Amino acid sequence: MVVGDVTTGTEVLVIGAGPGGYVAAIRAAQKGLDTTLVEKDAYGGACLNRGCIPSKALITGSGLAHEAGNAEFMGVHADPAVDMGKMVEWKDGVVDGLTSGVEKLCKANGVNLVAGTASFTGENTVRVAHGGEGQGSETLSFEHAVVATGSRPVQIPGFDFAEDHVWSSAEALDAETVPDRLGVVGGGYIGMELATTYAKLGADVTVVEMLDDILDPYEDDVKRIVRKRAEELGVEFHFGEGASEWSEAPDGGYLLHTETEAGDESTYGVDRILVAVGRQPVTDGLDPGAAGIETDDRGFVETDDRTRTAVEHIHAVGDVAGDPMLAHAASNEGIVAAEVIAGEPAALDRQAVPAAVFTDPEIGTVGMTEADAEDAGFDPVVGQMPFNASGRAMTTGHTEGFVRIVADEEAGFVLGAQIVGPEASELIAEVALAIEMGATLEDVAATVHTHPTLAEAVMEAAENARGQAIHTLNR
Amino acid sequence: MTIKEFKLPDVGEGVAEGELVSWLVAPGDRVEEDQPVAEVETDKALVEVPSSYDGTVEELFAEEGEMVPVGDVIISFRVDEEGDAEAGASDDADSAAASDSEPDATADEADASAGDTAPDAEPAAESEPDTPSGRTFAPPSARRLARELGVDVAAVDGSGPGGRVTEADVRAHAEGGAAASGGGSDGDAPTPRPAPTDTGSGERKSAVSKRGSADSAAGAGGDAPEPAGRETTLATPATRKVARERDVDLDDVPTDETRDGEAFVTAEAVNAYADALESPAEPTAEPEPVDAEPADAEATPEPAATAAAAASGTASTERDGDETVPYRGVRRTIGKQMERSKFTAPHVTHHDTAEVDALVEAREELKPKAEARGVKLTYMPFVMKAIVAGLKAHPYLNSELREDEEEIVLRREYNLGIAVATDAGLMVPVVDDVDEKGLFELADEVNDLAARARERKLKPDEMKGGTFTITNFGAIGGEYATPIINYPETAILGLGAIEERPVVREGADGDSEVVPAPTLPLSLSIDHRVVDGAIAAEFANTVMEQLEHPLLLLTE
Repeated sequence: MVVGDVTTGTEVLVIGAGPGGYVAAIRAAQKGLDTTLVEKDAYGGACLNRGCIPSKALITGSGLAHEAGNAEFMGVHADPAVDMGKMVEWKDGVVDGLTSGVEKLCKANGVNLVAGTASFTGENTVRVAHGGEGQGSETLSFEHAVVATGSRPVQIPGFDFAEDHVWSSAEALDAETVPDRLGVVGGGYIGMELATTYAKLGADVTVVEMLDDILDPYEDDVKRIVRKRAEELGVEFHFGEGASEWSEAPDGGYLLHTETEAGDESTYGVDRILVAVGRQPVTDGLDPGAAGIETDDRGFVETDDRTRTAVEHIHAVGDVAGDPMLAHAASNEGIVAAEVIAGEPAALDRQAVPAAVFTDPEIGTVGMTEADAEDAGFDPVVGQMPFNASGRAMTTGHTEGFVRIVADEEAGFVLGAQIVGPEASELIAEVALAIEMGATLEDVAATVHTHPTLAEAVMEAAENARGQAIHTLNR
Repeated sequence: MTIKEFKLPDVGEGVAEGELVSWLVAPGDRVEEDQPVAEVETDKALVEVPSSYDGTVEELFAEEGEMVPVGDVIISFRVDEEGDAEAGASDDADSAAASDSEPDATADEADASAGDTAPDAEPAAESEPDTPSGRTFAPPSARRLARELGVDVAAVDGSGPGGRVTEADVRAHAEGGAAASGGGSDGDAPTPRPAPTDTGSGERKSAVSKRGSADSAAGAGGDAPEPAGRETTLATPATRKVARERDVDLDDVPTDETRDGEAFVTAEAVNAYADALESPAEPTAEPEPVDAEPADAEATPEPAATAAAAASGTASTERDGDETVPYRGVRRTIGKQMERSKFTAPHVTHHDTAEVDALVEAREELKPKAEARGVKLTYMPFVMKAIVAGLKAHPYLNSELREDEEEIVLRREYNLGIAVATDAGLMVPVVDDVDEKGLFELADEVNDLAARARERKLKPDEMKGGTFTITNFGAIGGEYATPIINYPETAILGLGAIEERPVVREGADGDSEVVPAPTLPLSLSIDHRVVDGAIAAEFANTVMEQLEHPLLLLTE
């Protein structure tokens, strides 16, 4: 033990105050467990500080500006000017409100908050190094622990992150000005969301993607709609190219060098380079091995269906525990971890985790695609409703996209949905509920939906799958 | 390394759950395929559960003494195989490839991988054909309840549309699993038949009222459920459709479930209510109206009695110091079987006493010879032979009434069940083809079955197929009893203790005198639906004649 260490004990130690950790801590405290939450940086984790929330703020801001300037067809004429500094300031205010809210909620539920970086020193102890010089450290002993240390953007060799040239998503969300030319490495969901945002803010955006399309896992008809819209916004795509290096250009900007698999090289002139090629788990400094916790070769902590690691009283939730690496999945896992620790029969038995991409238009998916369902041994039936047949979609001016619902033909159980179009991120929630409840197409179709809303399209898609849609031709 | 989970297999016909009596292995132990890992007591027997894998015991999922539904994971093994890369690594590979665009990939992958791992977790032989890739269609609340009750949702029969599992289904599975299979030894007993094949429910209703006009109480009253008569009821659209199809008013369907403070009705509840409405119509299907009424009248006491029992059961409260013992396993099976027999078959018990001087002598004479052949000769084989003689003369006592088919089956075989008291309760192993076996052979077989019954090592098969049962309560003491028939058999013979008792005989002087003589008190219970008292008495006379003149047994 380090001289000057103070040892205190807690029943439940949660490491990391992101959407997995703070939820686990609050639920554990609600269950009457003495709970301590250690956070080295900011409450709310990457999601609230550098991810979901700030990106959605900028997406909304940029979307509003773009929309206002492109509504002549409705008779609206405007030429909005964007004050990027102000927009970021507003975004920071939103983030502050949420993060301080998380802190207050933790306190109100009786969670002990400790600022610092935790490292395991044994199966039942961590040392917490407090931030700043001479702040010292303390040893905490625990009965149960929840590792919720999250993830950070993956760096590629030669592309170290820095505010004035190579951005990660974090820097892209804190920019004071809009670069004239933005090079985006990676056409995944983060790359596409930010490419769309900056295109709407007036940047010339070039996306470089190693694969031959954007948004790799999605079905072609989903990708096509998003890609087409991005191209309309002026985004330029280069597929089959990997970023190899960058250099300074004589004009004061930078050159982004790429290479195809065949060795063909290209160069793009840009003012900033955004690298968005994925996220990796954060376990450095944590020393999980000291507690006997195993990580896989990518650094993720392996867990079972009760979120337990190989060391049974230590759980891991959220991004650090691997896929699906989504904030809402992390929260779900955090709740399960706390309840398992409290001795309840909780388990990760979710049937489907919905996912949303906040591109233009949005994508919302949950559960299985038709192909997934076939692979899983179902006899799938599919129903679709295009938004151009939706009255409400027409009144918003956004009619691209569709709702597709996948079900088991025999029993009618809803298995999945792919929605691309306005408010797809919201619409997907209904289908997620249907899947968890074991609802059938008939249940969804016979539920009265408000008119006129986009949600009617879900009902119509369910009817279409049953061959009796009213507003589309049944296939 | 691959972790393989192992579920409690179906250990016997119709067995829905078993008590995990003892673990024969502990985590970390090496096991080989087919090595017994646990002893499980089912409704019917104590069985050893063998491992399906070579490997190391990873984790035990049930406590000793816990009731485990068939299909629940009870143990996991760490199996040393090549295939372990599959489960984890494929995910990783996929998401690594997609690291550009992670989370959406991963959402879909999460589903896919949930699918991937599920079949891994269960032996291929047990995978449910109708729920591909281990998907279960049950709401989260029902899944949580299942975990709470230790029920494998995949093993629950869902009553909802397409087999969706409700909370009620999970409860029913947890509680009633064994009740459904509680039929005991008679594997072929017909389950209660569904209501006669009327076409529409509307018609059925009118049929009831027409028949019932003479006896409306029986039709309308009976065990027809009370309509709940609520103002409002919540239900899913699919449930509402079921209600329409069954012509049931949702507000009338009884339920304990609520949503947002409102009564909530499931499709299962609708079906149960509709079934209950229809069931009183069943007895009216009897062809002769004259018979129909008493049949109705006799049918009612059963539900009434059980309802009363249930009511008093819930009403009585435990006092300090009372001990609560679970009513499960063998005890409950015996209970259900007794209840069924006594509430179904009108019992009559006929008593008589055989004077068995000659039988005692015969046994004494044969005993050393039996011993020389390593056989312990009791009176039981003699009694069995005597019974076969009686059954041959009176075949209706070797029969089974199949009420629904309106026929009595006279059994060709003479398979005698021998009631054996064990620590866990009554067991009835069956000696097949008694008519074809010699005394020593029977003695051997009875001794073996009785010994194994006491050790709980009987196979379910060895307790099946009986046509008549003997209960030898006299081994413990006593003269007469009123045995309960081992339903659906028609008769059971109880044996008192063979002791010297005063009997009246003709003395040397020709006068009657009371002398001590070995006697065997007999208690014969019969199903009065099948045979009358006279036949019972005649049968008893035949048996007594055989026992009193054991030479006659040679003719058998």
